[in-house]
Amino acid sequence: MTAVEPAATETSEQLLDQLTSLGGLVVRDSGATQGTVTVRLLAETLEEATHVIAGTAGLRLADMFADNGGDAPTLRLVWAHEPGYLVVETEIEGDQYPPLSDIAPAAFVEECEIYEQFGIRPATGKPLNRLMLPPHAGPDFPRLGHRPAQPLEEAHAPHTVGGQAFEFPFGPVRQVGVESLHYGLVTSGEEVVDLYLFTWHKHRGVEWRLRGTTPREAIFFAERTEGLSAVAVGWAFAAAAEAALGITPPPGAARTRAVALELERLYNHAAATAALCQATGLTVGQSAAEIALERLLRVNAAVFGHRYLFGVIDPGGVSRAPDAGALRRELPGAYGELRRAADALLATNSFVDRLEATGILTTEQARRLGLVGPVARAAGLAADARLNEPAEGSPYAGYPVNIVTADNGDVLARFQVMLGETDESVRLINALLDAGTAAERTPLPPGGGTGLGWAESSRGEVLAWVALDQDGRITRARLRPGSARNWRGFDDACRSQNVFTDIPIIEASFWLTAAGMAR
Amino acid sequence: MPLWFARGLRRGVVTTRYPARPDSSAAFLPTPPAFRPRQLTRETADRIVAACPSIALTRQGDVLLFDVGACTGCGRCIAAAPHAVTPSGEWELAATTRSVLIKQIPIRGEQP
Repeated sequence: MTAVEPAATETSEQLLDQLTSLGGLVVRDSGATQGTVTVRLLAETLEEATHVIAGTAGLRLADMFADNGGDAPTLRLVWAHEPGYLVVETEIEGDQYPPLSDIAPAAFVEECEIYEQFGIRPATGKPLNRLMLPPHAGPDFPRLGHRPAQPLEEAHAPHTVGGQAFEFPFGPVRQVGVESLHYGLVTSGEEVVDLYLFTWHKHRGVEWRLRGTTPREAIFFAERTEGLSAVAVGWAFAAAAEAALGITPPPGAARTRAVALELERLYNHAAATAALCQATGLTVGQSAAEIALERLLRVNAAVFGHRYLFGVIDPGGVSRAPDAGALRRELPGAYGELRRAADALLATNSFVDRLEATGILTTEQARRLGLVGPVARAAGLAADARLNEPAEGSPYAGYPVNIVTADNGDVLARFQVMLGETDESVRLINALLDAGTAAERTPLPPGGGTGLGWAESSRGEVLAWVALDQDGRITRARLRPGSARNWRGFDDACRSQNVFTDIPIIEASFWLTAAGMAR
Repeated sequence: MPLWFARGLRRGVVTTRYPARPDSSAAFLPTPPAFRPRQLTRETADRIVAACPSIALTRQGDVLLFDVGACTGCGRCIAAAPHAVTPSGEWELAATTRSVLIKQIPIRGEQP
């Protein structure tokens, strides 16, 4: 396991030149979109442009979504070229657009989602799966766009084992305290041949609900999109609104956000540790990790007034500052509890044996699917949204984050990456407290605009994109938690020569949520 | 495994004695609001109704209806009218019938 410094990337001027030579228009919004460049393309050149972008080293497809801003839907692709982002937007006339998931396999899930919401599909004619909306979603079901012309297929992955394969459904009602999630499992006995996910049981229409609200009204819903990532999703959303309006939070507020985000990372990794113990049947280890988790949640309550850190992020800044004295006093004990449990677990061979070589994801798989967070870092991809621009205004600018990576891509590697990150989080919290935190806001100016925001949740990069009209009300809000990126890696991880009893272990090592997908 | 058995015994029981004894971290829980009828005017009531993201507040004539079950303790109503709404500090809110959770607060404030 290594802690790496990020490599500096070359400028994207060459890429922008290539895109403008294809007829692309670089759009400079009035907002403070530092770190983000938006290029508008014509639909005819979208396929070629995607080839160019996907072929450029160091670029990753981070999101794809549509909106009905004008009469025709606009398709947007967000590419991450650490340390910044490139947004490519295209108006789509008619109901088809150039096929992109052949060029960028990381786009298939989004193609299905866009079809369900907007009725536009890639021109290949290949079947799309039902992912986001439930089967009973009729014409009156709240959608962001128009209803698709043809009903969608159910999701069935092609079976790679003929004859003796047996397929059975698991969920959506699973054991107590676990989210509704439905897998189809294909097996030839004990081994997992294939696994496909349905996540629409928790669809809540958050993006639909946000339309017409102001950013300060919307943050209530945005931070509840994925409650375990309330700070991360709230921060990404607030940053998107701030970018749209051309403001940045005051430095003390930015540091408050970072303290809250690191506390969120800590308790999530403690919860993942407990889940790993539960999945391997080590009940005393599970209790030890859950004691640490409860202590961390009580630290959150004492420091920020909420166990899950809701109500901290406010567009323009933060609404409350941490109780620094309580944090300095309580955190070492709570973290020490987690550390002792983790050290004992890593010294327990019967536990480590269940984790080693389980649920392997190769670097190539992680890159092809555009995975993020500890899942990607454990497969050797050194990317972390805390390092992304804009450097000024980022609370991490003065405290470089050491990215923790590993090479094996198995459950053990993901666990070790999470533990390394908890160490780093404690160090960052102390440094940020020393620099000073405050409950401040930059007031939101009148007017509108569009903006992209991001944050590194415990599960990986969260993206948010917001369009505000001239009254400052949301016409389109896109929320993309880390889970929405990483679930697509779950079936690959389960398929790599694993058996049924490995599935909960792999699920715990991903530590995603159904809510982050089904929003 | 003997390591874990000994570890568990050593750590002992950590569960708090709630409800026999108060739980210290309860002091930090967000709580639903308490209302001051004499500070509530129709205009103030409409303002706090508009501020609530959970549709826990509605006004019927001179009565403010507050659904405790819908409230998340977010504090937006307190921020909208701090002279009329304060944190209640109450979090032991369970009831056996739904209707007990719908509070009716008379609006007795005088219009300026």
